[in-house]
Amino acid sequence: MMMRNDSHNRAEEYQTGTDLSDMRQGAVSSVERSANQPSKRAAKDRENVALGRGFAVVLRLIWKRGEGKFALTVMTSWVAISLISLFWTPQSLWKTDGYQVWAKPSATQWLGTDGIGADVFSWLMAGARTDLFIAVASVIFAGILGVLLISIMVSRNSALSNGSVVAVDALISIPTILIALILAVPMGASVMVVVLACGIGYGLNLARVARPEALLAANSDYVGSALSYGASGFSVMLHHILPNVMPTVMVQLSLSAGTAVLAESGLTYLGIGVPSGVPSWGHSLATSVKLIDVYPLSALWPGLIVTIVAVALNIFGDVLRDTTDPSSNPELRRS
Amino acid sequence: MPTNSGAYDENDATRQTADPADGIGHVVTSPTANGSRDVPDAQNAASTDETLNAHVKKRAVGGKRAANGLTKKGWIWAIAAMVVVVALISVFLVIRQKAEIVTDRAHQADSVSIGLKLAPTNLDIRNQSGTSLDQVLVGNVYEGIVARDSHNNVVPGLAKSWEKSADGTIYTFHLNDNMTFSNGDKLDAEDVAWSINELMVNHYHSSELLMNFKSAIAADTDTVKIELTAPYSDLLWVLACRPGLVLDRNAEYDIKTQAVGSGPYTVAKFVPNDSITLKANPHYWGGGKAITQTVVLRYFADDNAAVNALKSGDVQVLAPVSENLAGPFEKDNEHYRVAAGDGTDKFVLAMNSKGAATSDIRVRRAIRHAIDHKQLIASRGGADKPLGGPIASLDPGYEDLTGLYPHDVDEARELMKEAGYTTENPLELRLTYANTYGTELGDQLRSQLKPIGINLKVNMVEFSTWLQDVLKNKDYDLSLVDHNESHDFSQWTDDQYYYNYSNEKVKNYYRQAMAASDDSQRDALLSKAARQVSEDAPADWLFNYRITTAMKTGVTGFPLNLNQTLLPLRDVTYVPAQR
Repeated sequence: MMMRNDSHNRAEEYQTGTDLSDMRQGAVSSVERSANQPSKRAAKDRENVALGRGFAVVLRLIWKRGEGKFALTVMTSWVAISLISLFWTPQSLWKTDGYQVWAKPSATQWLGTDGIGADVFSWLMAGARTDLFIAVASVIFAGILGVLLISIMVSRNSALSNGSVVAVDALISIPTILIALILAVPMGASVMVVVLACGIGYGLNLARVARPEALLAANSDYVGSALSYGASGFSVMLHHILPNVMPTVMVQLSLSAGTAVLAESGLTYLGIGVPSGVPSWGHSLATSVKLIDVYPLSALWPGLIVTIVAVALNIFGDVLRDTTDPSSNPELRRS
Repeated sequence: MPTNSGAYDENDATRQTADPADGIGHVVTSPTANGSRDVPDAQNAASTDETLNAHVKKRAVGGKRAANGLTKKGWIWAIAAMVVVVALISVFLVIRQKAEIVTDRAHQADSVSIGLKLAPTNLDIRNQSGTSLDQVLVGNVYEGIVARDSHNNVVPGLAKSWEKSADGTIYTFHLNDNMTFSNGDKLDAEDVAWSINELMVNHYHSSELLMNFKSAIAADTDTVKIELTAPYSDLLWVLACRPGLVLDRNAEYDIKTQAVGSGPYTVAKFVPNDSITLKANPHYWGGGKAITQTVVLRYFADDNAAVNALKSGDVQVLAPVSENLAGPFEKDNEHYRVAAGDGTDKFVLAMNSKGAATSDIRVRRAIRHAIDHKQLIASRGGADKPLGGPIASLDPGYEDLTGLYPHDVDEARELMKEAGYTTENPLELRLTYANTYGTELGDQLRSQLKPIGINLKVNMVEFSTWLQDVLKNKDYDLSLVDHNESHDFSQWTDDQYYYNYSNEKVKNYYRQAMAASDDSQRDALLSKAARQVSEDAPADWLFNYRITTAMKTGVTGFPLNLNQTLLPLRDVTYVPAQR
C-alpha cells in the first residue's frame, strides 16, 4: 500500500514536470509550424540529440549511485557472459560423465558437476543467454501489449475505453503462473510459454499502472489544443501521451525483467518452462534442488545468480524511476 | 485523481525546489541539487493535502520514539518477552526429550512408521489399479490361496498344499483348518471358490491374468478345485497375486475405505494420499501373527520431505529412497542402515518398431551399442543392475543378456553409417517420457547418442500424456518407462502393444512356455523367447532398477526385495536404540 501511494505521488509530480517541458516544446513546435521545412528537420535532429543526451545523463546518474553501479555491473556482465557462452564455455555442455556426478568444485569443474556429471559453471554460463532472451523478449512483448492497451484505455470512444478497463481489471486477476499452465497445455514446455505468460501478465499490469498518467495527459489542455489543430489520435498518442507515460513504462518494464527471470526458474521447476536440454538457470536450479539436502552447494550457485540478477533488475528499476523523474532531476530539465 | 489546485500546488513546489535556498518544509519530494536522496522521511511522505502534512510534521517533531527506536520501558518488556519465550521452548524440549527416553527404555516399539512414495487412491482391491494397493493389502490384510515369497516364488498361503492333474488342467488345493476373517467369520472353500468366480464373472482388476479359466468349485469345506480349459504354467503365480485373494462373501463393508480379509493386519484408518494405519488382527488364524501391534504407512510425494521424516524420526523406514538422497544415511551407519533389494522394475527404452527411422534395425542396434549402461547406473548411485533383455532376474526365464549388445561406440557409428547417418548428417529422434523419471536419463541419453549421429530431442510430458501419445496412439520414436510388473513377458507377444513389435518365433516360444508341464521347461522356453526379443532390439533395457531402502538401525524384518509390490509386514519390529 505504502509503495503504491508513494509511486502514485511521484507519478503526479513528474507528471507536472513533463507538463512543463511539453508546454515549452509545444510552444517551440508552434513556432516551427509556421517556419519552413529545413528548420523542422533541424528541430527533429535537435530532439534526437536531446534524447541521446538525456539517455547519457540518466546513465551517468545511475552510475553515480552505489546501487545503480551494482545494477549496471550485473546487467553488463550478464550480457557479456551470454555473448561469450555462444562461442565458449569451459566444458562442453553435452559432456556427461556418470562416474563424476555431484563432484565438488575443482580446477576443471569450477563449480563442480551436476547429477549427470555435466559442468555446472558451463551450464550456468549458457543459461545466462536463455534467461537474457526470456527477460528481453517478455519485456518487449509486455511493452507492446501494455502500450496498445493504454492507447485503447484512453481512447475517446467511451465504450472502448470503459470496456477495456473492465477487461484489463478482470484479466489482471489471473496469475502469471496460471496463464503459463494454460499455455503449456497446447504448447508443451517451451521458452515461448514463459515469454508469452510473462508478456501477457506484465503487459496487463503495465497498462493498469500507467493508465492514470495516460488519462491525465489525454485530458490535458495541450492535447485538447492539439486535437483542435486537427492532430490525429495516433499522433496525440505518439507525441503527447507516450512521452508522459514513458518513465513509468520503463520502470515497470525493468521490474518485469527481474520478475521474468524469477518466473523462468519457477516455471521450469514446475516442468512447464524451459524444456529439457535447453540450458537455463531454472533448469540448473530444478535439477539440483532435488538433492539440496545432500549437495546444498549445487543448488546455491543457480539460486545465487537468479537472486543477484533479480535484485539488480529491481534496483535498476528503482534507480531508473528516481533518475528519469524530471521534477527531481534538474539535469534532465536542463536538456 | 489530482484536482486542479493540487496540480497548482505541485507546480509551485517544483518552482521552489529549483531554488536551493528554499528547500525545506514544503511539499517537496525532491532531492538536493546533486541528486542524492537523503531527504528526511517526513518530506518523502508529504502530500498535497495540508491536513496530512500537518500530521506528518507533528510526528516528525514529537517523534522521540521514532528517533530512538524503542523507549527504555519498551526495551525491558522486549527482553522479558524474549526470556519467557526461550524458557518456554527449553521446557518444551526437556519434556520432549524425557518422553523420548521413556519410550527408549521400552524394549520394542509398539508402533512402526514406514515412509512410502506412491499412495493408493482407495482401498478397492477389486477394481482399483496400481501396485501401491497390492503393496499395502496383499499378504497383510487380504490373503491369497497361495502366496509369494521375497524371491517371487510361490509358497503356501491359505492352501497348505496342492496338486495338479496329469494333463495340467485341474488343480486341487487343500486349505488350512480353522481359518477366520478378521471380523470373526469362518473362511472355508466356499469363500475361496466364490472369490475366484466373482472375479471372473465381474472382470475385476487383473482377472485377465487368469487365463484358460473354466471353473472354481468347493469340493468340500477345505478342498477347492480349479479347472482350466488348457494348461497354464503361470497359474500358481497368478493366484499368488490379486486373482487368488479370498474375500468374505458374508461381510458388508465399504470396500473403498475399509478392508476385511484374513490377514495378520486390519486397516484401522485410511487417509487418502496421506497414510494408512494397520493394526494387528487379534483373531489371526495362522501361526505367523503380526509382531508389531501398529504399523503406520505414510506417503510422501516429495522426496525431500520423506528424507526429513526419516531424519526427524517421524518414520523409521523409507522405501524407496533414491540412492543419491540416501548418501548421508549410508555414511551415518551408527543410526541408519541402507540396503537395496531386487525387484522386477525394468527401465525400458522402447524404440518404435514401426517408427519412421527406428523401423530400421540398424538404427535400433546402433542405439543399443551406443548406450553406456554402466555409466547410467553409476550416476544413479550404483545399486541398479544392468539388464540386457526383457526378463528381470526375479522372473522365470531370466538369463544375463548384457553380452548381446556391449557398449561399443565404433560399432554403433558403423551401423549408423550403414543406415545413412553420420555426425555431420545426424538423425533427429524424439524421446518421449513422463516427467516423474527426472531429466537426468534424457540428458544422459542425448549426450551418449550424439557421437553416433543422433540428435535426440527429449520431450518430457505428464504421465497422462505419455499414456495417450505413446501407449495408446503409439506416436513416438523412443520412449522410456519403468515396467515394474512381474511375469510380464506377454507384452512382447502382443502386436497391439505400443512397442509395435511382432515376431512369430517369440509368440510360439511363449505359447509353448505357458503350456509347459513343468517349470524348468517353461523357464527354458521363456529364456529362448527373451533372447530372441533382445536380438531383435525393439527396445533397450537401460537397467533393472533396485529399490533402495533406508531404515533406522533397530528395524528388523523389513522386506527389501520387491517391496514396492509385496510388503509383508508381520515380521517387522523396531527396537529403538538405548541411550
